[in-house]
Amino acid sequence: MNQDILDFLLQLGYLEGRITTHGLYEKSVLRKQPKAVTSLAAKRTLVQRLEAALASAGKEPGAVLTVGLYLRSVRQEQSLDVRELSTRLGLSANHYKLVERDRLSPLKVPADSWQKFIRLFSLPFEVFEEMVRRTHRLVYFRASFQTTLARYDGRKSKTKRSVTLEQAAEELYARAHLPVPPEEEIKLHLLLNNIARGLKQT
Amino acid sequence: MARIPNRQLVHELKSGHRLGCTHLVELYQDRLLGEAKRTFSVPHLDAEELVGDVLLTVVTKIDTFEFLRSDGDFHYWVMTIFRNKVRDYKRQRLITEGLFESFQETALEEEETYSSTEYEVMKSILRQYEAAVRRDSEDDDDTEHGSSKLQALVEALDQLEPWERVLLRCRALDVPYEEISRYTGKSARILKVYHARVKKKLVRILSERHPELKPV
Repeated sequence: MNQDILDFLLQLGYLEGRITTHGLYEKSVLRKQPKAVTSLAAKRTLVQRLEAALASAGKEPGAVLTVGLYLRSVRQEQSLDVRELSTRLGLSANHYKLVERDRLSPLKVPADSWQKFIRLFSLPFEVFEEMVRRTHRLVYFRASFQTTLARYDGRKSKTKRSVTLEQAAEELYARAHLPVPPEEEIKLHLLLNNIARGLKQT
Repeated sequence: MARIPNRQLVHELKSGHRLGCTHLVELYQDRLLGEAKRTFSVPHLDAEELVGDVLLTVVTKIDTFEFLRSDGDFHYWVMTIFRNKVRDYKRQRLITEGLFESFQETALEEEETYSSTEYEVMKSILRQYEAAVRRDSEDDDDTEHGSSKLQALVEALDQLEPWERVLLRCRALDVPYEEISRYTGKSARILKVYHARVKKKLVRILSERHPELKPV
């Protein structure tokens, strides 16, 4: 940008809060198409720095990372309707509800719905992959978890029951970190490849 | 990649989602880096550090942010943090290297645009600002802030027509003529033609209203 001494003085006035552009400058920054000048490595380093800052502020980064929990929190935050979101993802409302409750394996959701999911929420693919893997583990281990759930559910006192049910849920989500058998990994790998290929083509 | 709503981004950051950091970087890193380099002439490495500091402040102060009017509130909040960081950077550079030095090379070119008296008036404001910032940095209790030295400029701007003021302020920050045109109701072509004239007008008002700034 060609800048003379008067422009420089005006800029100082703006920076010092002595003059304003009535929001025009701020709006114009949003309208400009930024050029990708930062390397991927620099981006990653900055993201890690920010995550560390989040963690030191008492927030646990990555605490919520299953598809269901993510969808639910976004839907509540933006006051969206189940029907609206399910239509946008190309799923039936019942199908969507199962996804939102982490009851349906990601393998049973069509690849093009996952592509819509990624685009709708602007998810970087690696974040999406982690989310899907964790959801898959959660659903995979849920069956074996039913017995644990029944054990917790057997309490008669209502308050004790709700506390123990919460513990059960925590245990279940903790299991979402466990590795799944190799054949399940292969199926998931194929699905992720399909989604990635579809995204590249569009 | 589609742009996510600010409310979603703020929600992610407030609830500690790692995704919020990724979205924030995607949305703002290149944008602010471009602004720091192009509009405020900050060198690349310094600009990278500055933008990192801006986003870090956003993350650490996110709990103090609230939407009051619209989804755009978040952007204005980020831009205010950015503006303050650029200001601090400029002040720091001024103390270590001096501001005026960067204009010595273009001085000859500018002498053709402005008369020597007009040029000296602007130099004088810049030097006064520089001196006040240096004093501020040495003495915390000093009530004479650097920004007050720009008062002469603000008063001269007030003498212009509203559209002229908007034109000068916005062009100094590289806002496109088309956007200024939408705000002022004057065509972009007319604004382009008048830009240099309005600049001259402002400098003339400055030198007339502030004879004390002229060289003796």
